[in-house]
Amino acid sequence: MNVRVLGWFDDRLGIATTARRGLRKVFPDHWSFLLGEIALFCFVILVATGTFLTLFYRPDAAEVVYQGPYAPLQGREVSAAYESVMRISFEVRAGLVMRQIHHWAALVFVAAVVVHAMRIFFTGAFRKPRELNWLIGVVLLILALGAGFTGYSLPDDLLSGTGLRIAYSVLISVPFVGPYLAFLAFGGEFPTSGIISRLFVMHVMLLPALMIGLIVAHLAILWRQKHAQFAGGRATETNVVGKPFWPGQVFKSVGLLLVTGSVLAFMGGLIQINPVWDYGPFNPTVVSAPAQPDWYIGWLEGALRLFPPLDIEIFGILIPSPFIPGVVIPGIAFGLMALWPFVEARMTGDSEPHHLLDRPRDVPFRTGIGVAALIFFLLLTLAGGNDVMAIMFDVQVEAVTNVLRIGVIVLPALGGLIAHRMAVQLQSSAPSTPARRVRLRRNPEGGFDED
Amino acid sequence: MRAERVVAFCFAASAVASLGLLVVYAVGGDAQLEGLLLGIALGGLGVGVLVWARRLLHEDETTEARPPLGSSDAAMERTTDALEDEEVSRRSLLVRMLLGAGGSLAAALAIPALSLGPRPGQSLFRTEWTRGKRLVDVDGNPLRPEMVRAGAVQTVFPEGQVGVADAQTLLLRVDPDDLQLPEGREDWAPEGVVGYSKICTHAGCPVGLYRAQSHELLCPCHQSTFDVLRGAVPTFGPADRPLPQLPIEVDSDGYLVASGDFSEPVGPGFWNLPQ
Amino acid sequence: MGPRVAVVAAVVVAACALVTASTLAAVAQEGRDLFVESCASCHASDGSGTEYGPDITDAGEAAADFQLRTGRMPLADPSDQSVRKDPAFDEQEIKDLVAFVGTLGSGPEIPAVDAESGDLQEGQRLFVDNCAACHGATANGGAAGVGALAPSLFEASSLEIAEAIVTGPGEMPVFAFDIDERNAIVRFIRYLQEEEAPGGADIGGIGPVPEGFVGWTVGMLSLGLVCWLVGSRAKRSGDPGA
Repeated sequence: MNVRVLGWFDDRLGIATTARRGLRKVFPDHWSFLLGEIALFCFVILVATGTFLTLFYRPDAAEVVYQGPYAPLQGREVSAAYESVMRISFEVRAGLVMRQIHHWAALVFVAAVVVHAMRIFFTGAFRKPRELNWLIGVVLLILALGAGFTGYSLPDDLLSGTGLRIAYSVLISVPFVGPYLAFLAFGGEFPTSGIISRLFVMHVMLLPALMIGLIVAHLAILWRQKHAQFAGGRATETNVVGKPFWPGQVFKSVGLLLVTGSVLAFMGGLIQINPVWDYGPFNPTVVSAPAQPDWYIGWLEGALRLFPPLDIEIFGILIPSPFIPGVVIPGIAFGLMALWPFVEARMTGDSEPHHLLDRPRDVPFRTGIGVAALIFFLLLTLAGGNDVMAIMFDVQVEAVTNVLRIGVIVLPALGGLIAHRMAVQLQSSAPSTPARRVRLRRNPEGGFDED
Repeated sequence: MRAERVVAFCFAASAVASLGLLVVYAVGGDAQLEGLLLGIALGGLGVGVLVWARRLLHEDETTEARPPLGSSDAAMERTTDALEDEEVSRRSLLVRMLLGAGGSLAAALAIPALSLGPRPGQSLFRTEWTRGKRLVDVDGNPLRPEMVRAGAVQTVFPEGQVGVADAQTLLLRVDPDDLQLPEGREDWAPEGVVGYSKICTHAGCPVGLYRAQSHELLCPCHQSTFDVLRGAVPTFGPADRPLPQLPIEVDSDGYLVASGDFSEPVGPGFWNLPQ
Repeated sequence: MGPRVAVVAAVVVAACALVTASTLAAVAQEGRDLFVESCASCHASDGSGTEYGPDITDAGEAAADFQLRTGRMPLADPSDQSVRKDPAFDEQEIKDLVAFVGTLGSGPEIPAVDAESGDLQEGQRLFVDNCAACHGATANGGAAGVGALAPSLFEASSLEIAEAIVTGPGEMPVFAFDIDERNAIVRFIRYLQEEEAPGGADIGGIGPVPEGFVGWTVGMLSLGLVCWLVGSRAKRSGDPGA
């Protein structure tokens, strides 16, 4: 049966030999190489559940009267977009579970991308020849943040609408072009009726198209370059040691896809997320608390909360305080992240291709910088929830803010130094070169030679 | 063959869960059951496949060669030779004109993107408030000073424009003896009834919290705090500018009216905000 | 009606007034004693306040009832924010104290409240417009800065909610709603208290912070664990090509 099916395609495409090579292609099988797949499978589930939601969502800011089963809002004038999300949640069969799976998948998707990026960074997998894939990855991360932000703003609820207001204010803060940019993006002075449909086009068409294209490129480059691998055993710079693509890796990947879907399905049905009915429809004169964005935007929110009240004036031009935390800091962060392979190559003077991965302890300076960066982003993310922490720990929110203001400057440096220290220590205590084992053979002179 | 039984069980559980899903769908659906059954359906299949992969497949470690990625010099030369063509590289004038025309076309197609939004003009500098406009609550009722209670806060709008975002105003009453307004605003708060823009000057959220005893307005987004008694000057948080104040007076019928627009443009700052 | 009937009526009315006044006086006497014992050290024996506690002469029965019923008062340390505790007094003692405080000045009486008659939709609108910024969209509470935690409303009774609206305890502002608006808000808060989360486990009801936490711990951690179980765990350290 296999031969007949393959034969049908082979007669038309001539793929038999290519297929065989692909099926036998060797992949190193360390568990940390599967983290990128988790991100990929979250993306697949996002597209699948997202397609379902798109069939029922209305990207329309026109007012309609809510007449669904959620009693507190009956008779209320809300946007058609909000009404459609309420309908999906309360009236469309499986609507609520699909919406919740979609939202949980978005949170886990970005988490998986971050963990995967950490693995790439700390093992030096971004070095030549993989700088291009690293760049694609950074762009994918940025697009993922954009997709998430546009996505959770689509229901036009009070919480996400407040986030849109903040985004609008950050745009306005850009020197010279800020007000123009903001009016262009939103179609006028906030709040506008056009923003929902624009976000919809971004979220459902433009961003997914870009992401799918880049993911395909990301995988194609990986296939072409062959996966990197850890040193040890029979691994060298000029081979790939692992298991063949078929059947093992395919089974594992398929299994992982299904298990990812399973975990997200459990979460989507059993744990409530983004209850837009509780927030109510967006109203630009009202706000609820606590007001946070989804976690992956939390670092930007934290930067906005921690940044001191500094409206800077240069030659009569005002640079309002949201500009630096809202535009400059993420610009520098993503810029540095994107350029890192080239920065490190310059710093180490190493422009050789590398297919063998580092252990983090073997490159203390990179490990230290990576840990410092992680602590920085973690603290900013925590700062995004400073009022929640104040409630949880029964302290004043001003105290939390001030502690974090100091922490975000001191702790990354401290943590980076400690990590650096630990890496150096681990190096000397566990030599990377265990005693070699050799076979000896007696030679005619009576001595021993290596076999 | 225990692994085989485990795999079979997983697949069976998955099938049962899928059938259960259909039943739940038929009887009207329930989010928790749907998630649970879908999780088992997918998970059963997934775990079965993974156990199959880990326990039943026996694959030895194999090795394949990793030839260098860069091509030989000879191959590079053949490719660059294939690319070059005299009729392309020699025609520098045509190439330049091609690029110029392409650039012009790109500009012609891209620049109309400016139509995506109107020019800001004066929109950020002004609101709907003008001299004589009565202050009304969210239900449209005009307000007299005695209707504003001490220790209370409410959101007000210009009459006829309830809900207009940039005109949203917070109305409070404080003891006039405690008020220390900036110079020139001595008669902006009749009987201690004072009005400030509700739009936070940091990032534009409505300043929804009022600490009645401390007379402080707090914005929930980034915790900017404003002192009501001293012209809503910021005392904590990332806001650097006070909330603009609305000049208020009492008209001849005893209703609260605005004496003009806010003291400054409302909302977050922008590059040409007057200092 | 004849003059004789009028005289009888007048006597009856006078008698009732006398009985009521003397009952009130007795109750107020009970209340005064309790007040001197438990409240005067901070609020002064006439309620005019000291350095430790504010002037409560015009606080009214509503404020006294709220503070005592929710156990916020008496407050051991005046520098702490008062929070809900078990009441220090029983029902009769509370009634007595409330009556006494009512006689000190002209503050608001205990408001009438009828949650059932409240308009649920109006209550949702009023709650989001006026209460959610401090107490949260789901009434789970919020932080309003220095010493101003806006508490969760899940334990509040209808009467306590109405009293808080009318008296503005602590940093909470006063709200000038009429009785229909108050009933509507109370009705909506009762709805929130009884609402079952349709999406599953309600992980705090305060939005993306716990959601992000759960996404990482339940989602990413479990999937990371699956990767670890599925992939090879051999972390070989050795010479390349040995």
